[in-house]
Amino acid sequence: MNILPITNFKKGGSGTVFEITNQQMAGKLIAMGLLPGSKIEVIGIAPFNGGYYLKVDGHCLAIRKKEAAHILLEC
Amino acid sequence: MIKQNNFRIALVGNPNSGKSSVFNQLTGLRQKVGNFPGVTVDKKIGKTLLPEGAEITLIDLPGAYSLYPNSQEERIVLNVLSNPEDANHPNAVIYVADATHLEKHLLLLTQIKDLGLPLVLALNMSDLLPKEGIEIDVEVLSKRLGIPVVPISGRYGQNMEALKEKVFDLKFNASNGVELFYQPSALEKKVVRRLQEELGFNNTYRTLLVAHHFRRLPFLTLENKDTIERICLEENFEDLRLQIHETMRRYDIFTPFLRKAIQRKGPKANSPTDKLDLILTHKIAGPIIFFFLMLLVFQAIFTWAAYPMGWIENGFNYLSITLKTNIPAGWVSNLLTDGIIAGLGGVMVFIPQIAILFILISTLEEAGYMARVVYIFDKAMQQFGLNGRSVVALVSGGACAIPAIMSTRTISNWKERLITIMVTPLISCSARIPVYTILIGFAVPSRTVLGFFNLQGLAFMGLYLLGITAAFCSAFVFKLILKTEEQSYLLLELPEYRPPLWRNVFLTVKEKVRAFVVEAGKVILVVSVLLWCLASFGPAAKMTEAEAGARVEAASQSLSEIETGDLVAAKRLEASYAGQIGKFIEPAIRPMGFDWKMGIAILTSFVAREVFVGTMATLYSVGSAEDETTIHDRLAKANNPDTGLPVYSIATSFSLLIFYVFAMQCISTLAVVRRETNSWKWPLIQFAYMSGLAWFGSLVVYQILK
Repeated sequence: MNILPITNFKKGGSGTVFEITNQQMAGKLIAMGLLPGSKIEVIGIAPFNGGYYLKVDGHCLAIRKKEAAHILLEC
Repeated sequence: MIKQNNFRIALVGNPNSGKSSVFNQLTGLRQKVGNFPGVTVDKKIGKTLLPEGAEITLIDLPGAYSLYPNSQEERIVLNVLSNPEDANHPNAVIYVADATHLEKHLLLLTQIKDLGLPLVLALNMSDLLPKEGIEIDVEVLSKRLGIPVVPISGRYGQNMEALKEKVFDLKFNASNGVELFYQPSALEKKVVRRLQEELGFNNTYRTLLVAHHFRRLPFLTLENKDTIERICLEENFEDLRLQIHETMRRYDIFTPFLRKAIQRKGPKANSPTDKLDLILTHKIAGPIIFFFLMLLVFQAIFTWAAYPMGWIENGFNYLSITLKTNIPAGWVSNLLTDGIIAGLGGVMVFIPQIAILFILISTLEEAGYMARVVYIFDKAMQQFGLNGRSVVALVSGGACAIPAIMSTRTISNWKERLITIMVTPLISCSARIPVYTILIGFAVPSRTVLGFFNLQGLAFMGLYLLGITAAFCSAFVFKLILKTEEQSYLLLELPEYRPPLWRNVFLTVKEKVRAFVVEAGKVILVVSVLLWCLASFGPAAKMTEAEAGARVEAASQSLSEIETGDLVAAKRLEASYAGQIGKFIEPAIRPMGFDWKMGIAILTSFVAREVFVGTMATLYSVGSAEDETTIHDRLAKANNPDTGLPVYSIATSFSLLIFYVFAMQCISTLAVVRRETNSWKWPLIQFAYMSGLAWFGSLVVYQILK
C-alpha cells in the first residue's frame, strides 16, 4: 500500500483519498465532494503540463497541479 | 398569513444543478436581471403562479457549494441567507439538486436546513435516472431529511406543478422541524451561547456562521465585529479546523441514509462524456479542435451577421432621410439625424454580431464544452497572469469588448479578473473592421501571393494577431506589476455533455444583447450628442466665413448642388470647435504622420471606432456618399498642400492602422470597466497605457516607413 500525492499519478491511475494536506484547500475540496475516502481516477492531464482532470466518485473535476499536490491518494 | 406579494422564494443549489433551467421553467419570460447591491453578480428575479392563483417572487441565487464561501457568488448566497434583514432574504427555499449525483449536492441543503429556512428539495434531472440505472426512494429521503422532496426535470418541465404545490404548502406550514442536522461541539455551543447573549441572535447555526464569517458580513456593525472577535479569541475558536470538522460531520450523517434511499441497478452506463473527452480534452487534439471551432465561430459571425447589419444600416439611413425631408432644415433636424440617430444606429448595428457570438458561445457552454476549454488553457493562461476562464472573455472580445468584460465576473481571483479586463480591449473588435478595411486599401496592394493568399487578407490577419500579441504581452506586464495577497486556485466541475437547451440559450443571448444595448447605448448617445455639438458649432464669425468661402469656391468650380453641400459641410467642420481641437492637437500627432483632419476623425471616433470612416467622408466632402469605394477614391486623391504628396501615403496608413489596433478608442468600454472594477482608477490606467502603446507604435511605424 502506497500513499502518494496525485501529482505522482499518470493518466489512468487511481486510488482513494487518504488525506488533504492543506487545510485551506481541504475546506474547498470537501465542499465540492472530494473528501477522504473518495475514489479518484486521473482521466487526463491538461496540455502545457497543466491541471488534472479527475473523476471523483463518478463526477468530473478539474484542479490545478498545485492543488493536486495537496491530495494524497492510497492505492 | 403572509401577504402574497411579499412571499419570496429563493432557488438555491450547486453550480451545474440545472438551477437556471428550473428557474426558466417556473418563470418563463417573466424574469429580469439586475445586480446584487455593491457587487457585479447577476441577480435574476421572476414571478410564478402557485395553485389558487397566488403569485410569488422567485429569486435565482448564484450557484454555491457551501455556506463557507470561496467566491463572490457564494458570498452573496451566505449574505442573503444568513441575514433575515437582507432585502433579498427569502421566506422559503427551493433547493435544486442533480438527482444523478445526489451525494455531492446535499451539503448545502443541510446547512440551509439548519438556518431554519423552510425548504423543498427538487430532484432535478430525474428523467436521466432510469438510464443511469438509479432508483431513488423519495419517501425515505423525505422522511430522513424531514422536508418535502419532488423529483422533477427542468429540461422537460416534468412535475413542475407538483413542485409548485409543495411550495404552496410551505407558505402555510412554514416550519422545517426543530432538530439541527449538525450538532455543534461543546466549544461551538459555548461560543454560540456567548454570542447570542451579546448580540441577541436566536438561530444556533446562524450564530455559528457569524462566528466564522463575521469579518466580511456586511450586516454587522464595527462594534459587533469587535465583540465577536474578542469572544472568538477568548474561546480559542479555530475557524478552519471547525469548518472542516462540521463539513465532514454532515457527510457522515447523510451518506448512510442516502445509501438506504438510493438503489444503483447494475453498473453505470458508459456515458458519451468519457469518450468525447478522450478527444476534446486531448493534449494535442484538444487545443487544435478549440482553435478550429473558434475559426468557425468567427466565420459565422462575419458572414451571417452581414445581412442583418445591412438591414439595420439601411433602416437607420431611411429613418434619417425621412426625418430630414419632413423636419425643417436647421440644427434640430441635424441634431436628430447626425447626432442621435447616427449614434443609436452605431450601437444597433453591432447587435447581430453580438447575438450570433453569444448564441454560439452559450450553446457551447450549455453543452458543457466551455468548462473543458477552461481546463485546457488554464495553465497557458496562468503564464500571463490570466485564468482559464479568461479565454471566454478574449474570444468574446473579437465581437465587442463590452459583453466580454462583463463575462469576466466568473473569474473569482481579483488579480486575474482585473488583468483580463485590462487587456480584452486589445483584441480587435468588430468596430475596427471598417477602419481596417479602408486603411488597408491604401497601405497594401490587392495582390495574390504564394498562389492563393490575398495580400490584403494577410494584412487583416496580421492586425488581428498584433492585437492578440499585444494583449498577452500587456497581461504579462500587469502580472509582474500587480500584487495580491489573494490565493489563486482552480476547482472546476466538468459537467457531463448534454444537448443544449434552446430556451436557456435564448434567454442568455437576450440578456447579453440587452446589457450591451443599455451599457453602450447610454454612453454612446450622450457622447454622440456632445461630439455632434463640437462638430456643428464653432466661433460664429469663423463658421459664417467658412460657409461663405465654400459657396464662392463651389460657384467658381460650378459644382452640383450635392457637391456644394458636401463642400460646405467640410469647411464648416474645419471651422468648428472639433476642427479647432484637431488643429490644436496636430503638433502632437504630426510625428505619427497624421494631419489635423485625422486628428478630428480620431477625436470623433471615441464614440465608436467606425465613426472614423464617416468623419473622413465628411472632411473630404463626400459626406453624402454611402459606399466605401467612393470614400476610398476620394481619400486616395487627397494631397498634402505643402508637399504635394498623397495624404494617405503607405507610411501614414500603416501608422493609423497601428493606432487603431492599440488605442482605447471606445468610451462605452471605459464606462463598463469603471462599473465592473467599481473605480475610476482602472479605466484611466487602461486608457493611458493603451493610448501610450498606440502613440508609440504609430510613431515608430511612421518614422521607419516614411
